[in-house]
Order: sequence, then C-alpha cells, then structure tokens
Amino acid sequence: MNHQPAYNPMQAKVLGPPGPPLYASGPYQPVPPGPQSGSYPVAPAQPLLTRPQIGVLPSHTPPQSASPVPGPRLAQTTPPAQATPPPPAVTSTSYYTGPPAWQYAAPRGPAPNHVNPAVAAPPHMSHGSAQPPGPGAPPTSIHGYPQPAPPPMPLHTYQPNRPAYGPPPTAPPTMKPAAPPAGPPGTTGTPPPPKVDGDVAGNGPQAPNSYNHVDTRMAGAAQPGPPGRHLGHYPSLPPGYQNTSAPPPAPLHPALQAATQPYTQGPQPYQQQPGGPGPGPAQLSPSMAAMSLQSSTPEALRVVNLLQERNLLPSAPVPAPTPCLTQDLQKLNCSPEVFRCTLTSIPQTQSLLNKAKLPLGLLLHPFKDLSQLPVVTSSTIVRCRSCRTYINPFVSFLDQRRWKCNLCYRVNDVPEEFMYNPVSRSYGEPHKRPEVQNATIEFIAPSEYMLRPPQPAVYLFVLDVSHNAVETGYLSVFCQSLLDNINALPGDSRTKVGFITFDSTIHFYNLQEGLSQPQMLIVSDIEDIFLPTPDSLLVNLNECKELVQDLLKSLPNLFEKTMETQSALGSALQAAFKLLSPTGGRMSVFQTQLPNLGVGALQSREDPNQRASAKDVQHLSPATDFYKKLALDCSGQQVAVDLFLLSAQYCDLASLGCISRFSAGSVYYYPSYHHQHNPAQVERFQRDLKRYLTRKIGFEAVMRIRCTKGLSIHTFHGNFFVRSTDLLSLPNVNPDAGFAVQMSIEENLDDMQVVSFQAALLYTSSKGERRIRVHTMCLPVVSSLSDVFAGADVQAVTGLLACMAVDRSVTSSLSDARDAMTNAAIDSLSSYRQSVLTIQQPGLLAPACLRLFPLYILALLKQKAFRTGTSTRLDERVFAMYQLKYQPLAFAMLMIHPALYRVDDLSDEGALNISERTVPQPRVLQLSVEKLSREGAFLMDAGLVMYLWIGRNCHQNFLSQVLGVSSYAAVPEKLCFLPELDTAESQRTRALVSWLRDQRPFFPSLHIIRDESQLKPHFLQNMIEDRTESALSYYEFLLHLQQQISK
Amino acid sequence: MIFLTVIARLADGLPLAASIQEDEQSGRDLQHYQSQAKQLLRKLDAQSPDRCMLEAGNMNFCYFISQGVCCLCLCDASFPKKVAFGYLEDLQNEFCEQYGKRVPEVTRPYSFIEFDTYMQKTKKSYVDSRAQRNLSSVSTELQDIQRIMVANIEEVLQRGEALSALDTKASNLRSQAEKYRSDARFLNTRSTYAKVAAVVLVFVTLIIYVRFWWL
Repeated sequence: MNHQPAYNPMQAKVLGPPGPPLYASGPYQPVPPGPQSGSYPVAPAQPLLTRPQIGVLPSHTPPQSASPVPGPRLAQTTPPAQATPPPPAVTSTSYYTGPPAWQYAAPRGPAPNHVNPAVAAPPHMSHGSAQPPGPGAPPTSIHGYPQPAPPPMPLHTYQPNRPAYGPPPTAPPTMKPAAPPAGPPGTTGTPPPPKVDGDVAGNGPQAPNSYNHVDTRMAGAAQPGPPGRHLGHYPSLPPGYQNTSAPPPAPLHPALQAATQPYTQGPQPYQQQPGGPGPGPAQLSPSMAAMSLQSSTPEALRVVNLLQERNLLPSAPVPAPTPCLTQDLQKLNCSPEVFRCTLTSIPQTQSLLNKAKLPLGLLLHPFKDLSQLPVVTSSTIVRCRSCRTYINPFVSFLDQRRWKCNLCYRVNDVPEEFMYNPVSRSYGEPHKRPEVQNATIEFIAPSEYMLRPPQPAVYLFVLDVSHNAVETGYLSVFCQSLLDNINALPGDSRTKVGFITFDSTIHFYNLQEGLSQPQMLIVSDIEDIFLPTPDSLLVNLNECKELVQDLLKSLPNLFEKTMETQSALGSALQAAFKLLSPTGGRMSVFQTQLPNLGVGALQSREDPNQRASAKDVQHLSPATDFYKKLALDCSGQQVAVDLFLLSAQYCDLASLGCISRFSAGSVYYYPSYHHQHNPAQVERFQRDLKRYLTRKIGFEAVMRIRCTKGLSIHTFHGNFFVRSTDLLSLPNVNPDAGFAVQMSIEENLDDMQVVSFQAALLYTSSKGERRIRVHTMCLPVVSSLSDVFAGADVQAVTGLLACMAVDRSVTSSLSDARDAMTNAAIDSLSSYRQSVLTIQQPGLLAPACLRLFPLYILALLKQKAFRTGTSTRLDERVFAMYQLKYQPLAFAMLMIHPALYRVDDLSDEGALNISERTVPQPRVLQLSVEKLSREGAFLMDAGLVMYLWIGRNCHQNFLSQVLGVSSYAAVPEKLCFLPELDTAESQRTRALVSWLRDQRPFFPSLHIIRDESQLKPHFLQNMIEDRTESALSYYEFLLHLQQQISK
Repeated sequence: MIFLTVIARLADGLPLAASIQEDEQSGRDLQHYQSQAKQLLRKLDAQSPDRCMLEAGNMNFCYFISQGVCCLCLCDASFPKKVAFGYLEDLQNEFCEQYGKRVPEVTRPYSFIEFDTYMQKTKKSYVDSRAQRNLSSVSTELQDIQRIMVANIEEVLQRGEALSALDTKASNLRSQAEKYRSDARFLNTRSTYAKVAAVVLVFVTLIIYVRFWWL
C-alpha cells in the first residue's frame, strides 16, 4: 500500500463555498498542487476495458450525432413512445383488460405461480414477524378516527383466500404478443451512448492528470457520515441489506422515521400523514405494521368509506408518501420532487401488479432547479461495467475493492482513485465518497462524453410580423423583455443570437460587426428557402450587442403599417433550422395565426358549433406530419423549438405543437392575447418571457433511465424524441420540464428487497461544460397486495393516468380515454374490495392512501383536456393536454385539482416565515360552491390562473383594506392585480398570492371576479365536486363507482 | 478551407479549445476526422516534430507545437500549407498569451472553449482568399515552411501501435527467457541431486556389502 502517500499530492482541494449559484465558474477549476505525476497508471487504466473499441463507433447511436444522417433518422420517425399501436377494435375501455396500448401486460407463461405470497415471503417479512410488537408498534388510533369500524385484518387470514378472491386479471395471456414495444429487458445490455466516443484507446497510462476533486455545495453536512451508519468497522453491511440486521425496533420508531425525512423543505407537518399529531404507522414498514395488526392497521390502509366521509381533503397540500425503507436508505433517497413512483412499494410480480390494477410508472423532474447540488470532478466516473449504472448510494460494497451494482448485480472493481475521499481527505473509505452519499449528484464529464466540442449557447428568435401579429402588439412586449434581459441570457462569451421575422416572406437580419445599423434581407422565395448570408445572421452577442439592441428597438415600429395577412410559418421554420443546424441551439417561435402559406400550411379544423355538443372531440391529432418531421430533423441537429402561440383564433395547436414536442421544446399559449384588451395575458406573457429567457438551459442533452433488472420501462411521456429504445434525445433541457415513464415487471423480483431507478441526464451547460446529473431512487419490494395498496401514491397515479389518457385520446378517442380513467378508479377500488378487505361492508371503501383517487379522477374528467359538454376551444383543450404531459407533477396536480382558500379572514396563525416575509397558510377547501359564502372572499389557485372571488356581502373591511374600494359595487369589472395598500390585510393577501406564484416557474394571472363577471363560469367550472349540466357531482360519481364495483 | 481546429495540452492530449466549421458539405465525415484528431493529439509528445503535416485522404492535418500546447487543424489537401501554418502560429501566440499560464492546471476538457470566438475570426481572415493581407503576413516565414515534415496520418497513428507491439513482443521474449533460465536452473539442480543420490547409494551399498559379507 505504498501508493498511499502519492495520492496526497494528486488530490485537489475541496473548493466549495456553499453558495447557490450553480455555475460559479471558479470552484470548478480544480488546482492539483504540484506537478502532474504520471506514476500511477493503475487507476486510469481500469476504464479502458469498459470503453467501446474505436472500430465500433459508427454502429452505436451517438448521443448527439451532429452528422446529418437523414436515412436512419427518418426511419425511426415513429419513436417507441409514440409507437403504441392504436388499440385494436376497442370494445373494452378498461386500462387493464383493454388493448395492449395500455400497459398492464398480461402475465407471461406460468404467471399464477406467485399467487401464494406466503411461500415467497421476503426475509424482512419474517424479520418483522420475529419481532415482538413492542415499542415499534405504534398506538392504534392517534388520529381519532373511529378505529373499530374497519376491524384489523390480519395479514395471514386473507392471504390464503386471495387466489379465490382475486382471480388473475382478466386480460388473457393471448393478448401479450401484441404488447407494446417494451424495450429489451435492459437498459442492461446496451452500452450507453454517452460513452460511445470511441477513441480513448491510449488514454490510460499517459494521462497524468488523475485529478480527483470534489466540489461540494453541501456545506459538508452530509459527508461526515450520519451517526450510527457504518459504525467504524469498514466492510460494513451494504446499505441495501442493512434492514435485515438493523437494531430491531429503533430505526422503525415513528418519531425517528419522521425525523429523518431528508427533504423536508416545506413545513414539517406536511411530511406527515394528514390529520395526526404524530406520523402515522403508514410510515413504518408495512410488513412490520401488518404483523402487529392485532393492535393497528397502517394509516395508509385504514379503510375509508368514501360515501360517508365528506371532508377528505387534507387542509394542507398532499405530501408524497414515504417509501417503507429503513431509515438509512430513506435518508439517502432521492427527493420526491425530482423522482416519484406511482407505487412506493413495488409489487414482486407482474401478476400482483395486475391484480392491484394500479399503473406502475415514474414521474421525473430531472433538471429541477436545486438549491444544493454536490458537483464532482473526477477523471473517471465510476460506473457498472455491464449496465453502465453510475455508482450511487444504494450499491453495496463487498469489500474495500469491489462493489456490487444495484441494478444488474454485477460485481465491479473500485478504481484506485475512488479510494481517496476528497471531502474528508482520507484514504480507503470509498463508501464515504459524495457519489455514495448523495442520491442526486452532478459530474463534470471528461472528454469521452463529448462527440464534439461543447456547443455555444445559440438563441434564434423567429417572430411573426403579419398584420394579425402587429395587431396583438406582442412584438413590443417581446422586444422590451429581451432588451431588459439581454445580459441575463445564460451563456458565456460565445453566446450567439439571431432574428428572423416572417409574414408571407422571410426576413433575415444581418447583424455583423462593423455595420452601422442592422440590415434586413428579405427572401420571398418561400418554396426553396436559402440563407442569404449564412455567416452574419447568427452573431456573437457580446460583440454585436449594440446592433442587436438597435434592432430590438426598431423592430416594433418596422412593421407597424403592414397589411400582409398571410403567414409562411413552415418556410420560416425551415430557414431557422438551416441557420441553427451547424451548431444546434434554441429556436423560439412566436406565432399568432394559422399558418396558411407555403409548406406546412394548415386549414381550420374547428367547428365552433360542435364544441359543446359533439359527443366526441375530433382533430386532436396533427393534420400534417410536416411539423413532426421537421422537429425530428431539429432533434438530430440539437435544435429545440419553443412555441409561443398568441392568438384569439384557432391555430391548430395539435399540429403546430409537434414541432416542440419532438424537439424537446416547450409550448406557451396565450389565448386572446391583446396588448390593450387583455392586460392579464400581457403580464403573464411578460413574466413568462422573463423566466424563459433567464432560466438555466442545458444543450445537446440525452437522458437515460435505468432500473433494476426485472423491471422494464416501455412508454415515455413528455417532450423529447426516443432515440434508441431507452435514450431520450433532448436538444435542450430546461428546469421546468417534467417527464413520466411507464414500467412493467418482466421478471419476478422474488429475492430482492429493494429495487432502484436511476435517471442520468448528460447535457452541456450554457458555459460550455459537459455535465451529468444523476438521480437515484430506491424502493422496497413487497409481496402482498395490501402492501402494494398501502404504498400507492395517489397524486403520482393520477398524474400518470392523465398522461396515459392524453395518449389514449389522441390514438383512440376522447370518450375512450374518459371511460378508461373511470375504469381505472373502478378497477383498483374493486380489486381492493375483493382482494384486500376481508369483511365486506356496505359503502364505497378505499384505503386511506387512495381516498382522494375518485376525486382526482373526477377532476380529470372535468379538466379542460378531457371535459365534454362544456364549450372548450380545441386549442385550449390541446394545450391542457400538453400541460398534463409536460408539467412536473406538483404543477400538473394544481391544474387537475385547483386549491381553494378563504382569504378574507387570513391570520398569521401557522404562517410561514420566508425571508422576513410572513406568508399566511389558509386551509385548503373542498371545491364546492357550498364552501363559498357571500360574506367571504375566496382565492382559487388553478395552476396557470388564479381567481379571487368576492362574495356579494363581502366584509367591508376586506373590500377597503385589500381591494381599496368602498363597496362591492365599486369593484372594477376587470381587475387583475391586487392594489398595494399599506394595511396588514393587504400585505397578507399579497404575500399569499406572491408566495403561490413564486413556487412555480410560470406566472399565473390573477382575476378578481364578482358574481356578474364574465369569468365567473370559468371559476365555477373548477368547482369539481359540484354537479354541472353535463357532469356528475362528486357524490353521484361515487355512487356510480359503487354501482360499478358491486356489479 | 479549414474545417476543424483543436488546441490541446501536449502532455496528455486534453483538448482545451476547439472550433468546428460545419456546413452541409463538410458535415459528412467530420466525425471520423474528429476522432482521428483526438487520437493524434494523444500520440503527440515532446519528442514529436514541432511542425508537421499529415495526409489523411483528401484532407491534411497540420499541427504546430510550442510551449506545451499543440494547435491542430484539418484543412483541404489543396489548402496552402503556409497559410495553414500561419493560422496555427497566430492562434498559438494568442492562446499562450491569454491562457498560457493556466494550461498545466486545468482538468476539465475544453476549459478554454471561449477561445473559439477568436479562432473563428482568425480563421475567417485566413480562409478568405481575397484578403491579400494573409499572403504578405505569412510569406516571411516561407523559409521555415520548406522544412515542414510531411507524413501520413495512418503511419503516425500506427507507429505507436507498432512500437507497442514491439514492446509486447520484447517483453514476451524477456519473460520467456526468464522462464527458460529458471527452468534450466531447476533442471541443473535436479541432475546434481541425482548424481549425489547415485553416489550415496553406491556408498551405502558398499558399506552394507562390506558389513554383511565381509564380516
């Protein structure tokens, strides 16, 4: 071990000022003191074995192929995500028994051999049983629920019955051959393209810079190792297996469990089960709790009769359930804001999953803005040699030299330089490295992860300047916003910008250095588009800033008197693509009308008279594949297209949206935008633009999600293109994009106690650094149906079902999707009733963790995307669908089920204190008119929009102190902001509204409405629990469910 | 036309800055040349000639090494040699002036990617055949240019392989020789033992014979 001293000179300092800016360039420049010593070739030599040979380079799919290879690319224009075959002759509308496009793959082969879980009881189960139900078993009814009503159901009493109660799912195995294109059982076999860069052969021995440095922003908090973990003896038990030997009751104690919630960002009570002063037993291991059923039922499984309990809605936002992991693992686990699974307890077999009738999938928000993110710079990134998993907290160290992958179970060597821990500056403790201590981490990638030098930040703006566009007046808002934020655009000295405007012709702007003013070049040949001066249209922002500013100042006036009404959007997009394709970058398209000239011209497909009456909504799928094809070309050249649609008329978002969807862009929609008539939209547009222009951005990104052997990912939701079976190509990635995937269980997870999921996002930052952000999540495996139900995450399930329903509406029909959502609720609740409940009682019974499920399903049915009966404009409906798929779960949930607060009696009780601001926390009310009162004022937060409803007899005090008006009649008709008054009431209300706004990346506009306002119907449409002409009330919906279940 | 320019650290071939000219025509197999460039940069060391031009198909790699930094560019075979080297020297000077001191310290690839802006501008002025200025600025160095070595890229890339093959063979030979030597020593010892054993046997037999027969 004479290597040891030599590592000290090679170390780098820990340069980590705990500051929030992620891109402070300073700390990333490690300074290895002393000369680079090349005397230890051992460490760098190891990865050589794993890299692909040079010769095979072309055969891999390059992660960011810059070469235009139209052939293969076009060949895969139907990516797997979209390749779900249209359901063959849909007769059944259930998600589960229905066409294979929905993901409940029927059991393969001899599936029923797992119905007896008594045989396959996992070790931790017996561990739990051996344990006396002593201190670990919590008291029965902390929550004051009438506990005796659902008598405790001992686990072993119903399990033998289960084969009888729960027949195998009705989906016949013969349907399997038509199953969706589930990826090959792994992620495991395919070498991940980030490494594809083949020419590394000779790197090893002559690379003297075995720098090894960690830059941590954790303020050292996590590194010293939590007390009690790895108690000194080094080859301690791997984290994944500690639950078998953990000191019996202690780690399971509820108080401890709560104390170890690692991601408590909100107030502490949010993390607990609602309604209780202490954490409910649901946070215990379900098996543990199940064993002590004599005394209690886990809170998540407490039986709730939905027909009787009216006030189901917790008073605060619904928290994500905590997986039943040991304290050690849970402490390391990934934040639910980033990574969430619909079932926090993974069923052991596909048949068990089929029986639960709940969708299995992940919801991700991988590029979320994080306040603390450890960043590691290392010459070798330690990855599993067979499945290429990044080393993570859930791997197990067999001894000091070897680690076992937690996804494919291959035993790998620990490279020499990994032995040195730069945080504690100690040697021989690989398990204390930041990679093994943090479930979310970022690596600075070495040059093997680059196919070409990192691209500069390139922004191209494509602006509609037709008569219609000038009429809306968006151009001046845009130009002003860009002028204000031009120095805040993410980038470095290489940043490039360019502008194209279009009406029936395409206008380019020559901004080359040295010109006295911008030069406009008009190309009227829109059939065969060409670039007039390819070199000077995209210019360096730093060098030509003045010209750019000149242009932005003159642009709004330039087209003031235009009479051109036509719009050649297709050609403009082609031109922009040509301009961007050498480098890649971001294209921001502003469009105000239906494109009606040249390629990609569209016709109006909407019949306003049919909006409300039609039984089924037509035209949800694109009218032409021009936009999709162009988007795929863009994706191949690392160009992302963001679409801003500002229009009063129908614009066919279903067709136009494809340009963003497949190029990983985002869609913004401002219906009836007008600079004078609609100030709320103008403000929203302004704020959204500011965020859009200044937010973080990652270029030429790819994302891959890996999961433990046995699970397989088969369908992806979000905006991207699926390059190979499981590689998502994201030309741009932004911090506001969410993703969802569906999974199935291909092999039984018999001998596993936990499974892991890993999302790795490789991107180029706007400063030209190649980085990899890795998130890893670990979840327990359970073998009984009640445990599966106990772990259900109702919000995630709803979010995933919404994504699935959007797909279904496009491939099949809207009514089909609606039926399928209803059936999802019916199936899971009836499965719960038949298979888990032993004693049949009347009523609609649901486990406590799913008690909001019918409400959310009803909310989805009444959501803009899926509602029928009410007049909904097609573009708004399509936009709502895009939002459901694209928004991260937390924001999508608000769009599905808005939050209602009473705001006329805000008090500081229970208020949050955020940076010297007091934010009152009113209760969340049920969405029903009966909760409104004429004496009050109510704030409804529906994600993209907020309504402040003023009751007719609202307190004079509120009117004068908050709104600054003397009487109800004096409230203006169109008020969309709260006046800044210097009163306590006004401050509280404004604090609440701005706090709600700050929590999301987009800007919800606020409408203050009275009884006679035009917007009142919109407000009332969100009253989900009430009956409308065409939709059931919540109670009726429950009765409908009950009827279907008992049938 | 100059398609690709890379500046790398000589010691380990770590790329520091790069600039790529991509358009519809050149995009075709630039990828291949890029990987060749990477290999080449790893092969180069302090012993390599300062300036060299390597033929690779219908393209030429030109590189110029100075102060521990290697500037490499890929240009058309028809592109004038002296302009290419003038361009490289220009880059080299500017780069060393701006970043020279920080070169040994960096660990991240493409740490000085912002130099790209300068590279693109310089390239423009050299590539533009109408700019007469180029010729005058480089013609003074004509003398040097004559002495530039020309080799083939394949040879350079394979030279290392051949050397390493030779190295392996030599070390094989060496290990075999060692094995032979130890085997020989072992055999020697064994035959010595056999001889001694035979002598001892004879003596014992003799003693026994004398003891029982003679007495």
